[in-house]
Amino acid sequence: MADAAGMADAAVPRRGLRVPGARWRQAGAVVLGWAVFFGFWEFASQTLFNPFLLPGPLDVAEAIGDIVSSGNVVEHFRASLTKIFLGFALGVALGVPIGFLMGRSRYWKAFFHDPVMVAGSVPGITYAVLALVIFGIGPEGPLIAVALISMPYIALNVAAGLEGIDSSLMMMSRAFGRSRRDVFRHVLVPSITPFVFAGVRLSFALAWKVEALTEVFGSSSGIGFMIRRSYQLFSVVDVLAWTALFVIFMLLLERFVLLRLERHLFRWRPKEAPS
Amino acid sequence: MSTDAAARLEGAGRPRGTGLLGRIRDALLSNTGARITSYVFGLALWQLLGALYERVPGPVEVVQFLIEEIERGGVWDNFLLTAERFFAGLGIAFVAGVALGLAMGMWAFARALLKDTLTVGLAIPAIIWALLTALWFGFAWKAPVLTVALTAMPFIAVNVLQGVEATPRELLRMSKAFGVPVQRRIRQLVLPFVMDYVFTGLRFGIIVGWNGVLLSEWFASTEGVGWRTRYWYDANNFDGFVAWIVLFVGFIVIFDRAVLVPIQARVFRWRTTVAMR
Repeated sequence: MADAAGMADAAVPRRGLRVPGARWRQAGAVVLGWAVFFGFWEFASQTLFNPFLLPGPLDVAEAIGDIVSSGNVVEHFRASLTKIFLGFALGVALGVPIGFLMGRSRYWKAFFHDPVMVAGSVPGITYAVLALVIFGIGPEGPLIAVALISMPYIALNVAAGLEGIDSSLMMMSRAFGRSRRDVFRHVLVPSITPFVFAGVRLSFALAWKVEALTEVFGSSSGIGFMIRRSYQLFSVVDVLAWTALFVIFMLLLERFVLLRLERHLFRWRPKEAPS
Repeated sequence: MSTDAAARLEGAGRPRGTGLLGRIRDALLSNTGARITSYVFGLALWQLLGALYERVPGPVEVVQFLIEEIERGGVWDNFLLTAERFFAGLGIAFVAGVALGLAMGMWAFARALLKDTLTVGLAIPAIIWALLTALWFGFAWKAPVLTVALTAMPFIAVNVLQGVEATPRELLRMSKAFGVPVQRRIRQLVLPFVMDYVFTGLRFGIIVGWNGVLLSEWFASTEGVGWRTRYWYDANNFDGFVAWIVLFVGFIVIFDRAVLVPIQARVFRWRTTVAMR
């Protein structure tokens, strides 16, 4: 989840002497890694299984090409993304006030502690099947599932952010007679924004997966719906092609959109600030 | 010191109520009171959902069904079977994940080689493994076990990797310089440091793996918890369906709270809380 994002930082070589060409060796190892990955896949396809049960990388690439050129990819990704973003918005709208209460009051912290913990460890299948039963195959199911799965992470992060607020800053604001609105706007909001973001990034991969899962169980559009259809047609190559598109898209969004947006929003912060 | 002042100190700034009404108010506002209120509130919310959607049964129907199902003998066998598959898969994931994480943490080459594969592994949802293993192995024990192993393994590996990265570089380099053998370096330096991360990884692995075994059984099994849930769903018996959801959610929440959290607290009892974070 968040660890996927952490991987990018882990790649920075910190060890050993700066041997000339070390960077090239690193790049070579990454290329070799992909070669090993695809080589093993091809090997498994040819010998461990058979090309029908496990199509090789080239077959899958061809299927991806077909999907992309048919225009299906735009339609279904748009459907899924809309549900994810609306669900996230709802998750933030629920999670921020809950986190706010949890961070500011002992009573609400005790009140919300157990529900938030439970909501954070409920298996995704629960949301998927309940959404199917309650909403049928409409778009509300995945949307609510995304909201419920992201809410606890956002709430916990907001609460942690509020607890970490410099209390002298609060006291000073009060001493200088700032209004509650000023304190809220200039002290509270800037200090919890990074935490809201951390919560969003932490739950993004999770939400994306639950959204697809809910679509597999019951939907009439989206990536999960296409995966289910391929499964029912016993087309492993299409299951793999849609999975590959799913993974590529998710990693691109996480790396480029979320990370960039975070950097852009927090560009005023000094570089050493812990992120 | 007057009793009033003492009471005020005890109540941490909040004046304690006197008389019956005051005491009730105190009980309601205490931490335990808040927790109980939250459970009551949750039950009421469930009841409300049950009243709003006719396909959602209320708590009473679900408890009634659970009692019937336990008397029928359907609960224990299915749970035992699913638990067997789950722990087998988790065992594989644990051994492979720890080995992979250690290798990637200790050798830059292994890390560069496997980093992207691991990222892809983290991004693949459990449902994909459930469907693929169903297509590959059909309705056999292999599908759920492999689904758990493949879903949980990357999470364990990535946490072990982060743990190794958190071990002090200087100590590692020094022991390398003094020629301490690899096994001893791992056992006596890396492992104690990594344990915390291994536990976090294991907890993540357990949560995602439990989801995986249920999904796999839903799509490709004729027995087990996931199958039974689907059985009632297909039979249009929503009492049974929700009762099984309550069972498998309850299982993982209680397992996490009653087994994993205390073990973690016990293993790390020698640490001060300051060192934890």
